[in-house]
Amino acid sequence: MENSGGLRILVVDDEKTIRRFLKAALNSKGISVIEASDGEQGVYIALNSHPDAVILDLGLPDMDGIDIVKKIRESSVVPIIILSVRNDESDKIAALDAGADDYLTKPFNAGELLARIRTIMRRLAPRQDGPVYKTGTLEVDITQHAVTVKGKTVKLSPVEFDIIKMLVMNYGKVLTHKRILKEIWGKNEEPEDALHLLRVTISNIRNKIEPDPNRPEHILTEPGVGYRLFEE
Amino acid sequence: MENSFLNRIKGKEFIFSTLLVAFVTVIGSFFRGIIDASNFAVLFLLAVVLSALWWGMASSVFTAFFGVLAFDFFLVPPYNSFSVSDLKYIYTFVGFIITGVIVSMVASRARRQAIETKQREARTAVLYRFSNEMAECETTPQVIGAVRKNVGELLGCSTAVFMPHKDGISDAGSDADFPLDTHEYAVAQWAFSNKKPAGSGTTTLSAAKAFYVPLETSLEAVGVLGIRTADGRVIFNTSEMELVTALANQSSVAIQRAVLTEKSREMELAKKTQALQAALLNSISHDLRTPLVSITGALSALSQDFEAVDAADRKELLQTAYDDSLHLNEIVGNILDMTRVESGNLKLNVRPCDLRDLIGASLTQLKDKLEGRMVAVDIPGDLLEVPVDFSLMMRVFINLIDNAAKYSPAGSEIYIGAKTEGNMAVMTVKDSGFGIPSGDLEHIFDKFFRAVKPRQVSGTGLGLSICRGIVEAHGGKIWARNNTESGAVFFIRLPLGDAGHGGRD
Repeated sequence: MENSGGLRILVVDDEKTIRRFLKAALNSKGISVIEASDGEQGVYIALNSHPDAVILDLGLPDMDGIDIVKKIRESSVVPIIILSVRNDESDKIAALDAGADDYLTKPFNAGELLARIRTIMRRLAPRQDGPVYKTGTLEVDITQHAVTVKGKTVKLSPVEFDIIKMLVMNYGKVLTHKRILKEIWGKNEEPEDALHLLRVTISNIRNKIEPDPNRPEHILTEPGVGYRLFEE
Repeated sequence: MENSFLNRIKGKEFIFSTLLVAFVTVIGSFFRGIIDASNFAVLFLLAVVLSALWWGMASSVFTAFFGVLAFDFFLVPPYNSFSVSDLKYIYTFVGFIITGVIVSMVASRARRQAIETKQREARTAVLYRFSNEMAECETTPQVIGAVRKNVGELLGCSTAVFMPHKDGISDAGSDADFPLDTHEYAVAQWAFSNKKPAGSGTTTLSAAKAFYVPLETSLEAVGVLGIRTADGRVIFNTSEMELVTALANQSSVAIQRAVLTEKSREMELAKKTQALQAALLNSISHDLRTPLVSITGALSALSQDFEAVDAADRKELLQTAYDDSLHLNEIVGNILDMTRVESGNLKLNVRPCDLRDLIGASLTQLKDKLEGRMVAVDIPGDLLEVPVDFSLMMRVFINLIDNAAKYSPAGSEIYIGAKTEGNMAVMTVKDSGFGIPSGDLEHIFDKFFRAVKPRQVSGTGLGLSICRGIVEAHGGKIWARNNTESGAVFFIRLPLGDAGHGGRD
């Protein structure tokens, strides 16, 4: 995997123990950590110290997490990973729609977090493989409109290809239903028939690219939120 | 008194009496002059007796007097005149009238007694049926419903029942056409507070539109029965009044019985809930403490003298602490889920969901726990959409699949299936493990119930009751049974709603 050393990551969390644990875990991988204990401080540091990524707790006492994401996104594209507790999908969706890149549900382990960070960093790194995107056994050639799984060519409809392309170009990132509907079908809302179409299309893509469509390995479902392309 | 009865047929019976007298006179006129006129008196006496039996005292007295007049006028010479030629007829008349009146009295008493007996019988039958119906009712609303139905049918009236509520009384069920305004309420309230009938037809607050009778037992007033006759008629006659009183008495007893039963049931429930809460606290503190003990133990050993513990043991201790903290998280998650399900404010975000996706996502989340397991998934190729809350239904599948893994030997197969049956989706999770003792099948979805407790299997006994809570919140059903070969099968049946007509694409 890529060397994540030399990165600077901002951790915004009001819980001291969580900051401490994140600092220890990230430092051990050669990542330096800037800490912020509230939203205001977090936004300030995110915009002025130019960290390589932001880990943001959604439940801060002083500011709404979604507002923090919006504030940062006004003038920065720094990757944002959200930390949230279970059972609050609407918050997750709102944060992702506001521009966050990914989320982790508490409690999470250090390995998971590092994997997410690495994935984001890899996506942002300048590409060497040209128009061909590779994740695991899946290869997508953007210019040739060609998709292969384990070397075998797969025939996809134009819409199916557009979705795969979108997922590939955002791999590791959670794409909300809303975002996919907007980008692929140009819908600004989420009517049930459009969502049905999305589910059907995803199901069809899985039938074509997944070794076992009953247990997807490539296109993972984020319950109630959206989809992500997974890469081991 | 029978006021209404008399009122209604007063005219008729005198007409009948007149006709009867006319009939007797006509018959007599055939024999006029052939037999002695005094013999006709017997015929007229018969008319008096019949009048008394059929139409009562007043009409028979009328028959007697009218009969004498007719007898004198038509049958006693000189004919067609009230004058009497022979003095003996005067005695006949006097004897006739005296006899007539006495016969009338006796016969009409017999008649009244017969009528009363019949009414009493009818009332007894009515009350018997009423009390039978009361006995079948279990809850207060049922009793009130039965009271209103019976009283309404028997008296042909609309009814309302008022029950004590806070400081006053409130409507506990009333017909749509029952006049319910503040004034009527006040009358009902008066009847309740003073334990006396009030309203229309009584001397108290008689301007009211309905009649109110308190429902009271020897212990207390349990409510008020409001009665309004169909035509707004004011008075009930004595027998109706007696019936009302009898019905009110029975209603009072039945209502009180229902109220007391409910109270004692509530108390029992409160006791049970208390015991359950105690059990909950007990179970939760035990379940929470167990992993905590090992986490604290492992970490304290490490932090006390890190260097002294050799590398392999350090790893072991850390792994233990980590595993148990995951377990702790699971328990907390279950308790949170349980609280949500129990509190009744489980907010369902129901949307059509691809069932295959749902099961796939559950399996992905259980990836580590299913390591080395053969999991067979059998879902029809068509898209099967079920309207559910994706995340909550995932909790159900995760719980069931996790259980299947926990309660079956490592490496054995787990089967997950889904199909449609009519407008239902039926899903199964099958393992080939130890199965469930048949006596426990009913109880495994109860809170804190754990069937077989193999040493290695840990849990709170909440998982399945959470599953049931979630499935039932979706209007579905969950149940279990044992495989014929080995292991247990769990079934979930969910309504498909409008979605789920698979393969619409």
